[in-house]
Amino acid sequence: MTLDRMAYEIETVEPTQEPQAQSLWQRFDRWWLLLVGVIILTYLLIRIRPDPYGRIYRFLGDGMRVTVGITMVSFLFILLAGLIGGFGRISKNPVINAMASIYVEVMRGIPLLVQLLFIYYASPIVLRGIGARLTTIWPALSVRLVTIKLNPFAAAVLGLTLCYGAYMSEIVRAGIESIAKGQMEAARSLGMSYFQAMRYVILPQAIRIILPPVGNEFVALLKDSSLVSVVAVADMTRRGREFMASTFLALETWLMVGLLYLVMTLFAARIVAYIERKTLFVR
Amino acid sequence: MCDNIIEIEHVSKRFGHVVALDDLSLTVKRGEVVVIIGPSGSGKSTLLRCIDHLEDIDSGSIVVDGIPLTEAENIDKVRAEVGMVFQLFNLFPHLTALENVILAQRVVRKRSPQEAEEIAHQLLAKVHIPEKADAYPAQLSGGQQQRVAIARALAMQPKIMLFDEPTSALDPEMITEVLDVMLDLANEGMTMVVVSHEMGFVKAAAKRILFMCDGTIIEEATPDGLTLDACKEERTRQFLSKILT
Repeated sequence: MTLDRMAYEIETVEPTQEPQAQSLWQRFDRWWLLLVGVIILTYLLIRIRPDPYGRIYRFLGDGMRVTVGITMVSFLFILLAGLIGGFGRISKNPVINAMASIYVEVMRGIPLLVQLLFIYYASPIVLRGIGARLTTIWPALSVRLVTIKLNPFAAAVLGLTLCYGAYMSEIVRAGIESIAKGQMEAARSLGMSYFQAMRYVILPQAIRIILPPVGNEFVALLKDSSLVSVVAVADMTRRGREFMASTFLALETWLMVGLLYLVMTLFAARIVAYIERKTLFVR
Repeated sequence: MCDNIIEIEHVSKRFGHVVALDDLSLTVKRGEVVVIIGPSGSGKSTLLRCIDHLEDIDSGSIVVDGIPLTEAENIDKVRAEVGMVFQLFNLFPHLTALENVILAQRVVRKRSPQEAEEIAHQLLAKVHIPEKADAYPAQLSGGQQQRVAIARALAMQPKIMLFDEPTSALDPEMITEVLDVMLDLANEGMTMVVVSHEMGFVKAAAKRILFMCDGTIIEEATPDGLTLDACKEERTRQFLSKILT
């Protein structure tokens, strides 16, 4: 073996390839055990003390579905908002850039709880005020605005999207900016347009970089979705409050609610970790 | 068809207060290999980047293969005709060597997957690494990466190849493998503008050697005339004495 050949052998060792000798146990993501432990604990509570834990669990059931539903729907809109906001933040057009920057800064500066309260309770007042002034100019719209009643679910999704979309914009922006400038230049020098270069060269690399923070956002959103209970959405937290109000079982109720949130967030975190490992690539 | 493939007239370019190109004019004929040498900061790279329109010029005009580099719609057209090889390779790390060579063929040239793959395999063979088709850039040595980058540029069937210090980020052992590929290209009649201080390549391939200093071309020579005595300018002699050893 010549020196050249040896140097070449050393350079081609794949940094991410795991040694073959690893057993199944070693490759196993042991955090799953924590999740299993929490599930077993919850299950035992329900089996051993059906009253009140079984009752609480059944009472919380539809609230849990609302929590999952609102998180999923919001997250789709948040991804969209983050993509638009992120591209706005890196735009060279001063108007678009300023709009995106103001959106991000304002939304990050106001607590999510206050945003939700404003959207559900305050914004209809604003809309009704506008409607009242449009009676002569545009009667049809005026009537709709004056009689407006916000759907709690829609208001909650809107609030979560506006707030988390701002954070997501920053994640998208940072991800795109983290890709070396030479990548865009190489793509453009081959004759690709800006959008082709984004689509085929920059974004595929940026996605792998922004995936971990995006996963964190999902888990954080799952927990923050409990705030929507203040705008009349019957999520798990609100159902817990209702149960406690009628039974005064504070300890049992909030223990159960906490355990169920923990099951959901631990599960989501494992899924995120799994996707991250699947998309690792050699840099 | 015009004989001059690149026509640069009175081009100036400044970055803030720094003048990168100062009223520079240059014409390159079809099939010519032009090597640009000069101290760092003299505007060599900027000149190449302006030809590929990676930088805007402040004044003057650049016409590439009869297409003026002014209107936006011309830029992508020119870029597809001009291949650019960078000092730091700039391969796409998420794609294999083969996919690196295929991508722009599919996206820009709209070739079929089979055709693009066939061309990519041919070009990887041409740069002497057909066996590395499925390797990712991080699994390749610098010299191999640079050769994939050359194949990637050639896949667009460019009329001109620009090389921006293609070997200055490489270990000495890997420089020759890249220069060999470049020499092959020169012998095939490719128009090339090369920024490089590899005197072996300059002597073997260059038709004209331009010496740049402070954003302008201060002296021009042929490979034979590239000796300390033949140079008129003091600055050229100073620089040459350091690289001609």
